[in-house]
Amino acid sequence: MLEIRDLHAAVNGKAILKGLDLTVNPGEVHAIMGPNGSGKSTLANVLAGRDNYEITGGQAILDGHDLAELEPEERAQAGLFLAFQYPVEIPGVSNMEFLKAALEAVRKAQGKEEWDSVTLLRKAREACKQVNLDAQFLKRGVNEGFSGGEKKRNEIMQMLLMEPRLALLDETDSGLDIDALQTVARGVNSLRSPERGIVLVTHYQRLLDYIVPDHVHVLSDGRIIKSGGKELALELEQKGYGWLTGEEESA
Amino acid sequence: MSLPSKQQGLELKTLAVENARRSEAGDALTPLRGDSLNALEAAVFPDRKTEQWKYTSLHPLTDGHLRTAADGALPEPLPNLAAHRLVMSNGRLQENLSQLPEGVTLHRRAGQRDELLTPFALYNGAALTDAITLEVAANTEVSAPLHLLLHAASDTPAHCQTRVEVLLNPGSKLTLIEHYIGQGPVLNNAVTVIEARDNASLTHYRLQSEREDTLHISTLLFRQTGVSRIDSYQLMGGNRLRRNDVRALLEKSGAELNMQGVFVARGQSHIDNQLCVEHRVPHCTSNQVFKGLAGEKGKAILNGRIHIHEGAMGTLAELSNKNLLLSPGAEIYTKPELEIYNDDVKCAHGATVGQLDAAQQFYLQSRGIALAEAKRMLSLGFVNELILALPDESVARWVQPWLAGELSQYPGANEEAA
Repeated sequence: MLEIRDLHAAVNGKAILKGLDLTVNPGEVHAIMGPNGSGKSTLANVLAGRDNYEITGGQAILDGHDLAELEPEERAQAGLFLAFQYPVEIPGVSNMEFLKAALEAVRKAQGKEEWDSVTLLRKAREACKQVNLDAQFLKRGVNEGFSGGEKKRNEIMQMLLMEPRLALLDETDSGLDIDALQTVARGVNSLRSPERGIVLVTHYQRLLDYIVPDHVHVLSDGRIIKSGGKELALELEQKGYGWLTGEEESA
Repeated sequence: MSLPSKQQGLELKTLAVENARRSEAGDALTPLRGDSLNALEAAVFPDRKTEQWKYTSLHPLTDGHLRTAADGALPEPLPNLAAHRLVMSNGRLQENLSQLPEGVTLHRRAGQRDELLTPFALYNGAALTDAITLEVAANTEVSAPLHLLLHAASDTPAHCQTRVEVLLNPGSKLTLIEHYIGQGPVLNNAVTVIEARDNASLTHYRLQSEREDTLHISTLLFRQTGVSRIDSYQLMGGNRLRRNDVRALLEKSGAELNMQGVFVARGQSHIDNQLCVEHRVPHCTSNQVFKGLAGEKGKAILNGRIHIHEGAMGTLAELSNKNLLLSPGAEIYTKPELEIYNDDVKCAHGATVGQLDAAQQFYLQSRGIALAEAKRMLSLGFVNELILALPDESVARWVQPWLAGELSQYPGANEEAA
């Protein structure tokens, strides 16, 4: 469903991705690991279509759509969902109003039945419950004054409602305590399905104890330098990224 | 604009004086007309060199013939925001469409002259065709809001004078919705004077939702001659020219004034707000929060003057004006202006002009929301705290869809012309 071929990308003119290949089939969970600065977050942002993240070569195809040709909202409508590493705060726009606009746009584009406001509210409350987020958060401004963990759970809550074809999670584990990590992992695992692909971008192996991947890839200097099964993550945890990149990792 | 500005001022004055002479009639307004005309003849109309008018050209006012507007066609149905409504059309009270709530009396006169010395306020007084004074009886709480619908319409270029005075007697309480509507090339030159005496309390809305082909110049004067409280909510849409001179005089210790406002200048709109709050006596409080948006070729101005007189110790005065530019061609000018003549005051002010946040736009887009809709949501979010603070449900219900319309993508706008 996601086919990335020889992808080159630049951020503000600086080359970051330098020939990345990745294939995600329906039902698979992939983990992309790698040291700081290897291009993990760039990959997530390029796929989602953030400004100043420019594809300079190669292709990323989602279910036959060339992502480079789609606006960010069209990518979402095509079934792509990015759980942000740093979700932005939007005071004045309530979470509920935001979800309504998002779900209306996406469900309409996907030819799904529209949810009336009663259904939407019920579904949103269920999704909140699933990630341990008080339903009061629906009334607040989007991420406004949320703690780091609440923001991440808000991302997963949205993901549960959007039912994406391909979910990209950008360092969703960062800044989470162990309880929140398990909550988030449960949310993600509940979305695992034969029709859906999930890509976890993460720095640490910790998340993968709870969301067990089918494939693990190591990204270094804009390329995938090694791929393997879930045991690759454990090996990396023991040996450090220096084992593959040939450099001492300072962090 | 193109005409030499000094000539414009002279031309406008000549026309205003002629027009005022034509409106002479023997009625209760005659003394006010006469006094105002005398003062108008000595007055100097502003030009672009006048500091308070540097962003606003008078050119649109002299564009076409200056005639007092005849009766204008009222829209059907009339907006209905409250149980009781008074309608003025082209400056004339429409008795058949008006009902007064209990506790309020109406007189067909106007008496305020002091403090109304600007050329446009004088022109209003000199060329009046009608005027109303509303008086709220002492110790009376008017339970339902009063909707004052001030309409101006003409198919040909015209001017009309709208005059409303409101007196809140001691211990009275009123919610007043001062609502301007209209269409066509008509200038509504309006004067509103509101006096609050001891223990009076006013919730005041000022809704300016005329169509975009209209012109509006108004003078709003609050006089807090008693220990009183005024909460004023001012919402302004765009038109060819909108100029609001708002002056508040805090004249008795303990008076409190809160003003909040939102202005939206889209398309070719021009909105100029000149605010002046005068603390004339000790221990009064004023708090002002205004938010502005300008898009396409829209232009918005806010000058917020706070004048704290000598001896007005213990004054608390705040002014905040945050603005959002929605397009590269839009303009916003904001300036707090403080004049403080004693040491014992607490005075805070802040003004900012920013743009929509790219990260917020991307976040909304990444959830499937189209860019134009994302911009509308963020614009609405920018002013939402003020809208949520509107105390009357019936007003909020009217304001929300109206504002959403004002903030929607402007038809024909070239959004991407960066």
